[in-house]
Amino acid sequence: MPAPTLLGLLVWGTLVGLDLVSVAQSMIARPFVAGFVAGALLGDPAAGLRIGVLLELFALDVLPAGAARYPDYGPATVAAAVIVADAPWELSLGLGATVALLLAVLGGWSLQWLRRANARAIQRHAAALAAGESGTIRRLQYGGVARDALRSALLTAVGLAAAVGARSLALDRRTAVALTLVVLGAGLAAALGGALRRAGTGARLRWLAAGLALGALGAAVL
Amino acid sequence: MTGVGRALLRLLAVQGTWNYERMQGVGIGYAAEPLLEDLKAADPQRHSEAVVRSVEFFNSNPNLAGLALGATVRAEYDAVPGGQVARLRTALCSPLGALGDQLFWAGLLPALVGAALVAVTLGAGWWAIAGFLVGYNAIRGWTAVWALRTGLAAGMKVGAAISRSWIPRAAARVGPVAGFAVGLALPLVAAWYLRPFGAASRLGVVILAVLGVLAGRFWAPRLTAVRFALGVVALALLLRVAMR
Repeated sequence: MPAPTLLGLLVWGTLVGLDLVSVAQSMIARPFVAGFVAGALLGDPAAGLRIGVLLELFALDVLPAGAARYPDYGPATVAAAVIVADAPWELSLGLGATVALLLAVLGGWSLQWLRRANARAIQRHAAALAAGESGTIRRLQYGGVARDALRSALLTAVGLAAAVGARSLALDRRTAVALTLVVLGAGLAAALGGALRRAGTGARLRWLAAGLALGALGAAVL
Repeated sequence: MTGVGRALLRLLAVQGTWNYERMQGVGIGYAAEPLLEDLKAADPQRHSEAVVRSVEFFNSNPNLAGLALGATVRAEYDAVPGGQVARLRTALCSPLGALGDQLFWAGLLPALVGAALVAVTLGAGWWAIAGFLVGYNAIRGWTAVWALRTGLAAGMKVGAAISRSWIPRAAARVGPVAGFAVGLALPLVAAWYLRPFGAASRLGVVILAVLGVLAGRFWAPRLTAVRFALGVVALALLLRVAMR
């Protein structure tokens, strides 16, 4: 992979990692956005979109409320795009998604580390905060964002290394297709399970059912 | 009051120091700093106390945090007793968290993601992504401006301002829209992927999806979607090895 592409992916992975919680939350961390841009950086936006939409099914299961723990799909999707780019997606999607899911779990753990590191930094400056020192507040804030940037960059770097390694795996055709189908089934289960959980038993459930019916009709017609 | 623009920009990083002790507390303090500048000249003692209060525990949906920020800053300027300001801040955590999560995380976001996925399957490509990003950020950006201005105008009466506002109604209405959009997207996404595969493969994917939903309902929260996926991937690989 050319160095400028690698650098571009590293920067993009860091930005999407930051976007998840710390800065902006503009939703560039959504897998289908992160994947499309990563694919474009690799010269294959369609492949990036394929892996991104698949991982988006898993992300739809997540409700990032309060202090909830959840996987970090952004940098994971950027890494997975490397596996899928310039390869037949029917054969590469399963492997790409599997690597991405493992990375997303690692990303979730790294978020726990980040939250604890932020708490430790605040404890170290508790006296200055109690004295109302504005400079300390700014330094803590910039420190927190810098830690998350470092976390995201490291996660992306690990992901890119794993992706380059995974690309060299020689899966036979049947295994590669089986992996793709299995991950697709699991992704649909994740998105549907999350939608049902949020729907409860009221109007939202009826609208979900109506959407599913219309979608099934559309899928049959198109 | 000066610093509203800078406070809005700083609110974009309200979770920059998120942690399990003060949660968004330091982020809110960072956003409050430009708003409290005028108080520094008028009443340095009060300003110092206000800065200390501004970094204490706080947590809400980040898109509605401006309501609490604006209300507490206004209360500081109105010389409301410090204990009352702290109680207001604490009291706003739960409603702003619940309303914001319902409106954004469980409503607007899945609704727009569902719509974008439908557009992708219909061949919209990057337009779907651009539309999603522009749509979401336009709404959340407008909400952030509205929230801070409403909080600054209402002060201690922010609770009444919230209940009179569009937020509770929108939070209730966007849920069904999200349900419909995600429901519409899922079969289309499934068809988008499964088109090149045969009937047996398609049936297998549908059966696996149904089993996944049922497993998630029986064994939640221990069996997460990712654990289920990695479990069935491991099983598939074991079966492939055994069949060789």
